[in-house]
Amino acid sequence: MAYLVQPDYVKYVCSCGQMKPITNLYFCRHCLKIRCGFCICHEVDSHYCANCLENMPSSEARLKKNRCSSCFDCPSCFHTLSTRATMVQPRQDPASGDAKVENKQPKKMYYLSCFNCRWTSRDVGIPDQPVASGGWPERVNPFANRFAQLMEYYKAIAQQEKQEKLDKERKKFAIRGNYITLTDKTGLTGAMARNRAGMPSSESTSSAIANFVLSQATEEVEELPDDYHSREVNLKMITTMPQRLASPEWQAQQVSRLQPIARPLSVKRSQRCRQCDHNLTKPEYNPGSIKFKIELLAFYHVPEVKIISYETIKPGVTSALLLKLTNPTAHEMQIQLIQPNEVPEIEEKEEPKNIEKSLEKSLNLEKDMSWKSVVERKPTLPSAIKVNNPELTFTLAQRDDAAEYDDDSHHDTNDIILWRKSNKLALRLQLTADENAKVGLPAVAVVALQYTYRNTVPPTSTQPRDHTLYTTVTIDLGIVSQ
Amino acid sequence: MELQDTYYNKSEYVETASGNKVSRQTVLCGSQNIVLHGKVIVQSDAIIRGDLANVKTGRFCIISKGSVLRPPFKKFSKGVAFFPLQMGDHVFVGENTVVNAAVVGSYVYIGKNVVIGRRCVLKDCCMIEDNSVLPAETVVPSFARYSGSPARLIITSLPEATPDLMTEFTKSYYQHFLPTATV
Repeated sequence: MAYLVQPDYVKYVCSCGQMKPITNLYFCRHCLKIRCGFCICHEVDSHYCANCLENMPSSEARLKKNRCSSCFDCPSCFHTLSTRATMVQPRQDPASGDAKVENKQPKKMYYLSCFNCRWTSRDVGIPDQPVASGGWPERVNPFANRFAQLMEYYKAIAQQEKQEKLDKERKKFAIRGNYITLTDKTGLTGAMARNRAGMPSSESTSSAIANFVLSQATEEVEELPDDYHSREVNLKMITTMPQRLASPEWQAQQVSRLQPIARPLSVKRSQRCRQCDHNLTKPEYNPGSIKFKIELLAFYHVPEVKIISYETIKPGVTSALLLKLTNPTAHEMQIQLIQPNEVPEIEEKEEPKNIEKSLEKSLNLEKDMSWKSVVERKPTLPSAIKVNNPELTFTLAQRDDAAEYDDDSHHDTNDIILWRKSNKLALRLQLTADENAKVGLPAVAVVALQYTYRNTVPPTSTQPRDHTLYTTVTIDLGIVSQ
Repeated sequence: MELQDTYYNKSEYVETASGNKVSRQTVLCGSQNIVLHGKVIVQSDAIIRGDLANVKTGRFCIISKGSVLRPPFKKFSKGVAFFPLQMGDHVFVGENTVVNAAVVGSYVYIGKNVVIGRRCVLKDCCMIEDNSVLPAETVVPSFARYSGSPARLIITSLPEATPDLMTEFTKSYYQHFLPTATV
């Protein structure tokens, strides 16, 4: 947790060249590479409401415009609204006889109230509801019809273009797609399935395109009221920009027109390695659960480096740095400290899969690698500070949860290894800053680790179980001082 | 960065059999209603209002200096009722923070100078940053980070390893919370 409240002192170099703290990195067991948020694929796993923790299937979420149907946010301060109950005496209606009314029991009525800014649904004249949740009047977007038309039109166009493309490709390859995405994000799955079965696309496609009416620009614009510029403005009665933008369909101008905002849904996301398409994280379905079915984090696979303490860095002076190394894996780890320039460059090579490739291409499923050129960069590692302990090798025991109850710590300590405790050890390194290091600039030391890693993925005959991996770490040591 | 040792005056703290370290300079009202599940640190000037309703904390919780744990109340048509305050394992409560929540999950980090309003529900693995005010009856979902007054969700969510980070943090805090050698 120190990671969350402190600045990131120790950063790891991701395989794409980004520098991130270890908590933000993932480790693909199949590529044996460190991955970061920039070089993995984020997918929506499930939708849920963060307030009532209700799950919503993705099709329903799409239908409800990714908003919860029972929770509301305050339109004034955006805090969640709470339901409050009041006892209401049924109103005396002079038209219907008095005797009848007196028999009625006081009824429980509910209204929405914000505990932060004290806004209530009564302020804007929304009638109280007889049921505790749900039943709030739904507002219809004034342009809902036009929206539906536009959606239909563009869906039809997308469908048509896809059809044309497939028709073209079909001549080249006999076999087509191997799967249809089931999440149905675009609403095209039905059409795709129909297409796959060789059925003609629905007739609505062509009719939707034919019947579409283009928007017309008009010359005549409603005139502003005469007193528009002279009227005195009461800012308390006028909504702020954030309030208007919170409900873009209505954008109420007066405070009295604000309506509760249905709460936007949150998502659980799973992450996937872009290189090999294996899952890196996959959360459990239950919204309240914090567990993961798959959780390939660098924090559980890569040796962790932490600063214990350091001496201030001065130009041309040798100073000590105490590091704590932790082996998070269930296997013993051989670690060697090397100079960062000794880390071998490993090119990520694409396995040639010719047949599949062409199939993928025909389906437009070919992996889009354009992200790589955008994200990838050569990390610029500062070299002003040199680590003086070259080629230091040591073994780090495996993680053992029971070890914290044992007292016996190994005592094979020396000048460099200060102490060992189960899977942790403390290292004393000597750093020398360059004579020409500028005073006042950040002092960053770079250390590279070569470590053995046992892959626990069921091995195939060709792949070795043990690997030698490399990681480069930058350590922030404050600023160079005089 | 590894946590530094924090020292306390040995005569000031009471250590129970289950490893709770409770300062003598605290106000623990209704102590029969307070359950600390072991290895909990309650620092000086903290207030735990067990007289209002039960207060339960899990293991490895840290209640920092000057913070207040106070069971929340709810108004009914016939007066008010207090609800028990439950806290999970590995929870950190920063200095001068007031916690009025109904439920605080496990692996929760609450910064300093925070006010958690009445009957808030903090799910497992969430973080309330320093100087925030959480209005009453807020639900903070897992892996969320709330900040500001009124506290709002901020975009950078917590990493997936938060349970382990929090466990490590509270455990090492406990290990580094040492009595001064002398006295």
